[in-house]
Amino acid sequence: MSLLKINDLKCHYQTEINTVKAVDGVSFEIEEGEILGIVGESGSGKTTAALSIMGLLPENTAITGEITYKDNVISSLSEAEMDRFRWKDIAIVFQNGIEVLNPVMRVGVQVIEPMLKHLDISPDEARSKCADLFTTVHLDPKWMDSYPHQLSGGMRQRVILAMALSCDPKLLILDEVTSALDAFTRKEIRDLLVELQEKNGYTMLMISHDITFVSSVASRVVVMYSGKVVETGPVKDVLISPRHPYTRGLIHSTPDIFVYKDLWGIPGDISAGSGFKGCPFFSRCTQKTSKCNETTPALIPVGGGREIACHRGGIAGLLQASDLSYSYRLPDGQYLKAVDDVDLEIMEGEVLAIVGQTGSGKSTLAHILANVIQPATGNVSFMGENTNAENYGSRLNGVQIVFQDPFNSTSNRFTVIDAIKEPLDINKIGSEEERVQMAKDCLELVHLPNNDIFLSKYCGELSGGQRQRVALARAMVMQPKLLIADEVTSALDVSTSANVMRLLKGLQNRRGFAMIYISHDLSMTLKIADRICVMNHGRIVEMGNSHDVMLSPSHEYTKRLVGSKISV
Amino acid sequence: MKNDRNSFVFRLVITLFVILAINFFLPRIMPGDPFSTTSEDDSGDEVIIMTEEQRLYYMSYYGLDKPVHEQFLVYLKNLLKADLGRSIYYKMPVSDVIMLHLPWTMMIVFGSTVISTVAGVILGTFSAKNRKKGSDRLMMAGMIAFAEIPSFLLGLILLLAFSVHFRLFPLAGAITPFAHYSGPVEQLWDILYHAFLPVMTLSLAQLTGVYLLTRNTLITVTTKDYIRTARAKGLGEKTVWTRHALRNALLPVVTRAGFMIGIMMGGVVLVESVFSYPGIGMTLRSAVVGRDYPLIQGILLVIAVSILICNLLVDKIYSKLDPRVAI
Repeated sequence: MSLLKINDLKCHYQTEINTVKAVDGVSFEIEEGEILGIVGESGSGKTTAALSIMGLLPENTAITGEITYKDNVISSLSEAEMDRFRWKDIAIVFQNGIEVLNPVMRVGVQVIEPMLKHLDISPDEARSKCADLFTTVHLDPKWMDSYPHQLSGGMRQRVILAMALSCDPKLLILDEVTSALDAFTRKEIRDLLVELQEKNGYTMLMISHDITFVSSVASRVVVMYSGKVVETGPVKDVLISPRHPYTRGLIHSTPDIFVYKDLWGIPGDISAGSGFKGCPFFSRCTQKTSKCNETTPALIPVGGGREIACHRGGIAGLLQASDLSYSYRLPDGQYLKAVDDVDLEIMEGEVLAIVGQTGSGKSTLAHILANVIQPATGNVSFMGENTNAENYGSRLNGVQIVFQDPFNSTSNRFTVIDAIKEPLDINKIGSEEERVQMAKDCLELVHLPNNDIFLSKYCGELSGGQRQRVALARAMVMQPKLLIADEVTSALDVSTSANVMRLLKGLQNRRGFAMIYISHDLSMTLKIADRICVMNHGRIVEMGNSHDVMLSPSHEYTKRLVGSKISV
Repeated sequence: MKNDRNSFVFRLVITLFVILAINFFLPRIMPGDPFSTTSEDDSGDEVIIMTEEQRLYYMSYYGLDKPVHEQFLVYLKNLLKADLGRSIYYKMPVSDVIMLHLPWTMMIVFGSTVISTVAGVILGTFSAKNRKKGSDRLMMAGMIAFAEIPSFLLGLILLLAFSVHFRLFPLAGAITPFAHYSGPVEQLWDILYHAFLPVMTLSLAQLTGVYLLTRNTLITVTTKDYIRTARAKGLGEKTVWTRHALRNALLPVVTRAGFMIGIMMGGVVLVESVFSYPGIGMTLRSAVVGRDYPLIQGILLVIAVSILICNLLVDKIYSKLDPRVAI
């Protein structure tokens, strides 16, 4: 039987101007002895959910749904009845703030206070128990007689923790306990919590935006977004293979997981407005459909103890390639296998890097995926359609490729405007005016001037960096769902290539398209890739999260590749 | 630390000097002098009309014929010997006159401060608890309207109603004249009986300020995290309000009470006049009318010093109440 059960909880803050749906139909259970984590950005409703369990929401909150503790429906109790459960059964460790503790009371008194109220205990016994608690949380009992402002942030957090433990609660709620602490103290508090849990078997509900912290302690995790649960499951599974685009975004913006990657948050803000009926993540999602704008997806079990709320069943596959192979005929009549039995899947919105040394078959693979060349065997399907049936490179929202050498990929004799709107012209998309406008918009995207002087320049007059950006604009004008960037920076100098890279990743992050980034430059790859796939002799030898592949390569070839980096 | 203390003493000396200078020169700027009181004067006291010869004699007797700066130096020199001079009207040392009247003023000032603070805190707490309900709105509107009545007018109304009309309280004085008491209880009763209306007037005049301060501070305090913490601990509403909310909300109230004592020592003049209550306020009034320079100086000095002392006490008490400001 679960210790705490929350069923369809809704907490709507009603102000004079509007209603804020802080928690909107949340259900979850906590088993006895379990540590459940709730993660989500600020404003996702995690803290409101925690406060509602304690019955601490302000008076202007409309609360519906049921919170059951053991066999008691605690959500409908009066203040006085709720006091019987508070602290003795359910205690909360608040986020460390200067005023969480009463500034004019000695901290020891504040720890003792609930003991005298809830336990049958004399003041002297309470004081000695308080000293024990201080020792438990690794704080010298001499601090009992000090005031909150005399303690450091870490010490205050320990006092708050000791206070929560004072009446031996069955359920401990931890609300952002480490977010205000430095890394060292954070680690100490984490170890302390794990130690306490092992020793006393506390059931804990741990709320944090810090997914690394939660995953290091909790066994299950609930991901909240905009007052709703979007994904739940065993913490390790969720962390390694997130199923909801939001969870993936959250993990990808965590520097502790992606140590080398540049920080790119999830773009956009929470879909607001009380009239909005669709998926709360709609405005920031990379794989939305029209259905997502109309109905809210329900949380559905997907096996393995995981549940997910997404109309598309979680992060959807965008492009699948199976059994691809391709050979070049050499002058001596021999065949060189450039791509040899490759299977690959690209998910919506992700950045996959294909690395390998020159001649490993990366570019050939890229050209096959872009439908530039046909594979000898195997097939590629894009959004569930076979590429042989339709050329996805010639339509909007398809696949576009940017080639390695801008001097060859853009004609010297084309003006900038002609080069960019060429794919529109060829595929007869839009009127002439619309084409010019789309081209101008794309120039702005790639940070190039879009005035008439620049538009009528010949590509031959441009610098390398400018020409690569024009090539990028030409790809962007087709609004691709998948962009294949084939060694796009290798022909550019360091500073220009850094600019192009940031531009490329920025575009990807903002517009949410998926990207295959092909490179032999490991350092560059680590800065932008979510997943890395290592190729050698036409085969994929290793594939995984970019940090795993780079920090702990398993294949011999990858190890050599990582080891061959020239360090300064 | 030492520097702080030095600069504190330095500032105190400067403040005192400025006060003394104002106290000294202000009475002398007023038209007239102690010996040219005329029968037009409305004090109702016995009028002494002197010849010019007598007037000059007395002027030189009290040293008032010397240049002003010399008089000031003499005044300062005597002050250092704790000599406030002699009252011209009472014909006795100024310090004795003040000691005769100061206790009455202190009694009604302290009494009304205690009453208004206690009542204001109770009403303010009630209002804060019922925030945004009808009772709170009504009380607040009433209190603010009430605060607009000046204290002397309020005193007059109370005097006319309870002393003149209902004859419940005496019209004037601090004790029944020529009374013989059978014991200290009866004497105390007589004193309280006379002090009742002046104390009420001063209390009512202070009440709104304390009420509003308590109410508003409490409302701010109840939004603080530590109140949520106290609630979470299941301590019960009563403990949350008293031990956690009120304890913090009282800090500014106590400060205010301290400052008000000092300010009321000066402001009490009008109320004492209305009730003919023989405190230093009344004495100051008659001293001004009689141009009794030494007495005016002495009383103003006492008032100024008591304000300074009150401010000092507030600082000390506050650092006891709030550990955050303790040095």
